[in-house]
Amino acid sequence: MKAGDCAAILAHISAYLDGELEATECDAIERHCRECDSCASVVAGLRHTVGLCREAGSAPLPDVVRAKARESVKKLLAEKKS
Amino acid sequence: MAASNRAVTKTRNSHLSPEENDTSDTRVAECARLVRQAAAGDRDAMERLLMQAQEVAFRFSFLVCGHAQDAEDVMQDALLKTYRHIGRIREPEHFRTWLYKTVRNTCLMKRRRRVDEPSHLLSIEQGGPASGDGFTAVDVEDPAQGPDEAAMNTWLGERLRAALKALPPSYRMIVFLREMEGLSTREVAKVTGISEANVKTRLHRARGILREQLEDV
Repeated sequence: MKAGDCAAILAHISAYLDGELEATECDAIERHCRECDSCASVVAGLRHTVGLCREAGSAPLPDVVRAKARESVKKLLAEKKS
Repeated sequence: MAASNRAVTKTRNSHLSPEENDTSDTRVAECARLVRQAAAGDRDAMERLLMQAQEVAFRFSFLVCGHAQDAEDVMQDALLKTYRHIGRIREPEHFRTWLYKTVRNTCLMKRRRRVDEPSHLLSIEQGGPASGDGFTAVDVEDPAQGPDEAAMNTWLGERLRAALKALPPSYRMIVFLREMEGLSTREVAKVTGISEANVKTRLHRARGILREQLEDV
């Protein structure tokens, strides 16, 4: 991967965010993004997007859903106990 | 030697924020510990595990399939199957992938049983035109028809929900498993039955689509 090649940089950004690249490849991306606002913006945007998804995924489900689930657990365990 | 160690560490670190870097290994270990405790008769552990199973079922049904009205059935199925599975489990570390595969299969079966459903809605494995891999666009049922619409809108956020819905279904499942549920690439490959390379390709493309949809959020 050449540090000056936007297409090559963009093709590897997902792997970069996930920590799957070698250190030299990470350095190349970071060096490129310091000089290329466009690629830096893509990296920032992807990081933001992943953050939104993970934030939503880790949020507790609504109380009404959890209450139903809890009720089902209690009912099942009571049935199995008797 | 020290320089070599630093290089290895850098390679393995995600370039996301620390909050976004919760490792799948940690989650697998925590889940396996809970499974062992539940299998050994710990009622509290069993209750927590059964709650988790139902929550996974609800999220999958709502976010991947878009069938909020099916969610209660899928949750009940996950509850009963998990309870039975815990009694005979041999590899607690594999529980997570077992659970997601089970929920995924239940969702697929429910959709196939819908005799009144248009055939183009039957598969959640299909892709879309944006995927560039020859798949056909597939719409999903509006989740707003479900019983917990207001609560789920508050939970997920309208923009993110719309962006997920616009993804090709096969991409949506990858995003759900990898980004929202925190499964590793290997786990996602096991759950979906596609190669790890394909998981990475789909995730990369899906992230790009989502970025365009969510850049001003």
